[in-house]
Formats: sequence, structure tokens, C-alpha cells
Amino acid sequence: MNSPNRLGHALSTLGLVAVGIVVAALLTPNAHAATVLSVMVTVAVLGVSTLRIPRLHTEHPVVARLALTVAALAVVLTLTFFFSATTNFNLATGAAMAIVLLGLSFLTGASGQISLGNGAFMGVGAFAMAIWANHHATTPIVVSLLIAVVSGAVVGLLLGLPATRLRGPYLAGMTLAFAVAFSAILASFNSWTGGDAGLQLPNAATPPHWLTSLFHSGTSLLTSNTMWLADIAIVAAGVAFFFMGNLFASRTGRAMRLIRDNDVAAELVGVSLPRTRVIAFVVSSSYAALGGALWTLINNSVSPSTYSFALSITILSLVVIGGIGTIPGALIGGIIYAYSSSVISWIVSTTGLKAQGNFASQLNGIIFGVLLIVAMLFAPMGISGAVLRAWRRRSSTKG
Amino acid sequence: MDAFLTSRIISDVLTGLTNGVIYGLVALSLVLVWRSTRILNFAQGAMPMFATYLGMGLLSYHFGYWPCVAISIVAGFVVGGVSERVLVRKLYGKPEINPIVVMVGFLIVLEAVAAAIWSTLPRGLPSPFSAIDWQIGGKPFAMSDFSVYEIVTAVLVMTLVALLFRFTKLGLQLRAAALAPEVSRLLGVRVGRMLTLGWMLSTAVGTITTILVASNFFTGLTPQVMDGIFAFGFIAAAVGGLDSPVGAIISGVVIGIVLQFVGDYLNSNAIILVALVILIVSLMLRPNGVFTKSTARRV
Repeated sequence: MNSPNRLGHALSTLGLVAVGIVVAALLTPNAHAATVLSVMVTVAVLGVSTLRIPRLHTEHPVVARLALTVAALAVVLTLTFFFSATTNFNLATGAAMAIVLLGLSFLTGASGQISLGNGAFMGVGAFAMAIWANHHATTPIVVSLLIAVVSGAVVGLLLGLPATRLRGPYLAGMTLAFAVAFSAILASFNSWTGGDAGLQLPNAATPPHWLTSLFHSGTSLLTSNTMWLADIAIVAAGVAFFFMGNLFASRTGRAMRLIRDNDVAAELVGVSLPRTRVIAFVVSSSYAALGGALWTLINNSVSPSTYSFALSITILSLVVIGGIGTIPGALIGGIIYAYSSSVISWIVSTTGLKAQGNFASQLNGIIFGVLLIVAMLFAPMGISGAVLRAWRRRSSTKG
Repeated sequence: MDAFLTSRIISDVLTGLTNGVIYGLVALSLVLVWRSTRILNFAQGAMPMFATYLGMGLLSYHFGYWPCVAISIVAGFVVGGVSERVLVRKLYGKPEINPIVVMVGFLIVLEAVAAAIWSTLPRGLPSPFSAIDWQIGGKPFAMSDFSVYEIVTAVLVMTLVALLFRFTKLGLQLRAAALAPEVSRLLGVRVGRMLTLGWMLSTAVGTITTILVASNFFTGLTPQVMDGIFAFGFIAAAVGGLDSPVGAIISGVVIGIVLQFVGDYLNSNAIILVALVILIVSLMLRPNGVFTKSTARRV
């Protein structure tokens, strides 16, 4: 790269930052908010301009992934400031679900195993979070999220141990049994899990003072609270996606893909089959637990009925529809989940179905089930796979 | 005290036996499909449930119990055959994830459609047999006309399936198509037809099981009536070995009895927990099942 080019790069970056700061100052209610927004814009622009450095992707892939994550986080976090409370709530729910989907997508796409019990693993995280918060109310959110992740990993390890020797259908059946058993497991620890009613968090997660001060003085508490929760979920998703991107490209990730494609060949080149399979399973259950813990945080409560077998099936459908084994697929699935209930109620209202009728209440299951079958039969790589293929075809006809 | 203990043990064994034959039947239907097509049918509870609704739904139109049972079984054959032709046939030879995902999708669709048509409210099937426990010497004994009906039907179905496979030409063709499809095709067996027949047979066995379960006064027929029982049936099949019909039935009965003791002496929530532990431990010790000979996997 010659020096004028480098100079141009730097100048365009600076120019974008300046424009961003001016826009931020115009859009925001007070000086405080303008400062925060300017910082976000600067971070986003710096992240994107880092990505434009040639050879970065091949020589320092971790830096490239970090820059991408930071830039994407800066953009989305900035957007949450302008979103309504409803949108932010959907975004938070979807971000948590995207984490869960990424975990299952990784398990299936990278190591060829399948789990029908990730809804129950979500439940493990969700209840671990709530139980911990009820005993140690002052724990910082990050620590209690980590505790939930660890408990998900431990349960995943217990169930994953036989998985080392199991092939597809046996593992799927075992995780199904776990998902079906989960409500009984919760019920047998009634005194901890609060029985059918579930648990409330002792105190709602409230945003720090500097964040509330960003808004107009008259803004309702709900708006700033929901934005705070959405931001937590989005940052958690960012960290989870960054970590997964690196794991996928690492030696362990390559070993897993080899196992998926040919486990005998993998063993011949010295990959430890049991070890790699257990790692994949534990990573997937920890991700599910993180998603569940975030749901507890977002809803400020946890109810056992949420973590039914149906949730595990929904997770599987979303992964398949989004695209197994792809990172964008998990994002797509998360977005679909965040808006699925509003889309379905829209369908019900426009087609004039009786909202309380049998058919309307089963529409969710029918749509997801049909999509699951159709996707698996006709587009096994889901939406992201189909988009990628169409894009490749277009670029190949162009060139 | 001693007499009380003995009667408690006997009643647990008998109740467990009644549950166990049901698990054994579900396990048997899973094994039938697994052996012939190497697919673990996650819709093995839902397909018979649908057939049962089709048949037993006629009760509302003043058909008798037994005609409805017969129609349900026919519906079971039809549902199994149509599913295999339309859906399952596309899955042969695909990576093992594909059939799992598609059959799970089929499970949701069937349950949702059944709930949309017939609602989720349980529907009682008026069984001709009383579910009230017998009295022996003034004390209740853990058997009733209904549980005898369950056990006798289950044993009858198992025997018929065994006779079919062992002593008829059709059974021989079914086994041949499952074990050596290429060779049997050369010898003139219509392999595709045999696979369809295997699915029809398995769904029909499942339908009889569903009718037995739903005829129980305390359960009734709901779209999700087989979900939990499917889990126990799968555990029985996996413990016994998905390749062994006899193993599936035996482990179904044993698991039924063990779990009855668990439910009686611990609590009812522990039942599925213990079942899960049994599954995990047995899969760790014998991944291919207790009753299957280990075979080298072809690469």
C-alpha cells in the first residue's frame, strides 16, 4: 500500500467520524448523550476502517473478527437508543435466542451431533440465574451470567459423557428424554425452583445513572430499562459470536468438522473423538444456558412452563430455517424468533381467524413444523445457505 | 406388616407390568422401523395419535367402541403407509441428521394439526372394561379388568408380530429387505414395498398402543398423549438395543416395573429422572443396547 492511499484512508475515516459526530449532536436530547453517541460513532467507523486494511483477514483473523464485532456492536447499541421499548424488548429476546441458536448450530454444523434438549439447557441457565440472584442479590450481572453459563456447562458435561460413544439418533433421543424430563426435574427441586409459579428476581436490573441521564428528563423508566436490558443481551451476543467465530476457525473447530465429515479419518489423523464431541456438546449447552439466563434477566422472572419440550423444538426449527452451521443463520433465526409471535398474530388478524380458536392457537406449531420439514428436504442449509448460493451464482455469472 | 409389604410389592410389580407392556409396545414399533429403514421415528407417538383420532373420533357419530378400534387400526396402516411414501422415502441414504429433523418436524405438525381440528381438551374413550381394582378378601388388588385388557392385547400384538416375522413368507421378505436390501432385490423381493409395509405395521402397532393408553379413564385422548410415553418407549428401545425386538419388549417391561417402584417409594417426579439415569448409564456401558451383539460399524 503506498502512502497517498494510506493518507486517503485516514482522511476518509476522519471525515466519517466528523459527520457522525455532527449527526449525533443534532439527533440527541442533551450534551451528555451527544458525547456518548459520538464515541459510539467513532468506534464504529474505526472498526469498519480497520476491516478495510488489506491482508488483515488473512494475517490477523482474530483482529479482523474483533473489529467486526466491535463495529457491529457500536452500530446496534447506538440504534437501541432510538428504538421503542417494544422493539428493544424484542431485540433483547432475539439476541438471547441467537446465542442459543449459535450453540446448537455449532454442535450440529461443526460436529454433526444433534440435540433436541437445548430448550431444557436454556432452562438450566435461566433457573441457575434466578436461584443465584435470590440468594445473593448483590452479585453483578456479569458474574451471575457466568454462573449460569458454568451450570449449563456442568449439566451439559453430565449428559455429554455418554454422548462420546453415541451416534446421531441415540444422542437425539437422549436429549429428547432430557427435554421431556426437565419439568419433572424442576418439580423435584421445588423448594429451590419455586414450583409451578417459578421465581422472581429480587430486584429488577436497572440501568446505571449515566445511561438514564442520556434521555430526555421526562422519558419513562420503561424505555431506559428496556434499552439497558437490550444492550446487555446484545453485548453478550457480541461476545458469544466473537468467541464462536474464533473457536470455529481454531484447531478444535477444524477437528470437529473433520469428525462431522468422516469420524474414522479424524481418528486416524489423531483427533480424539470423545474429547472433541464432549467439547462441542458442552459449548452448545453453555450457550443455551447463557441465552436462558438472559431471558430471566429480561423478563425479571422465570417460569418452568417456558422451558418445555416445545421450546427445544422451536430452537431446532429456527436453526434449520436460519441455516445449520452458519453464523449468519443463528442471527437470522434470532430475528425470526423475535418477530414470529407478532407475525403470527398479524396473520391471524388479517385472515380473520378467531384468535382464541383452535386453529389460530396452533398456527405457530403448524408453520414452524412445515418450515422445518420443507427446509430440511429442499434447502438443507436454510436461509443463509440459500442466500449464499444465490450470491455466488450471481458473482460467478458476472465474472 | 409383612403381609402389607408383600402386597405393596406385588401391586407395584403388577402396575409396573401394565405400564411396562405399553413401553414395550412403543419400543417394539420403534425397533420395527429402525431395523428396516435405519430411521429413529420421532413421530412414532404422533402418527398413531393422529390415526387414533381419525378412528375413535367416530365415537361421536354413535359408532361402537370395537368398530372404532378396527377403523383406527386401518387408519394406522394408512397413516404409516402414506407417511412413508410421501415423506420418509426422500430421507433414505441422507445424513443421519436429516431424518431426525424431518421426523421431529412431522411430530410438531401432526400434534398442531390434531389440536387445531380436535382441540387439546382430553377426550375420554369409553373402554368396555372397568378400571376399578379387583377386591380380594375385601382388600383392593392392583389389577383391574382394564389392566388385564391392556396386558392381553399387548401380548397378543407382540405374538402376532413375532409369528408374522418368523413363520410367514411375508415376514421373511420383510426381514430380508431390512437386512440385505440389495440381495433381496436381486431375489425378487419388492424392497420398496416391504419398507412401506414395515412403516404401516409399526404405525398400526402404535395405534393399538395409543388406544390402550387413551382408553385409560385417567388419561383420555389428547394430541400430546404419547409424548411422555414415547420418551419411555425410546428409553426402553435404546436400553434393549434398537436392533432387537425381544430386547425392546423385555426392557420395556423391566423399566415399567422398576419405575413403578421408584414412583411408589420415592416420588412421581423421580420417575423420569431415574429413567434418564438408566438410559445414560446403560448407553455408557453398552452403547448398542443390552440385547444386541456388538458389531463392527462399516465405514
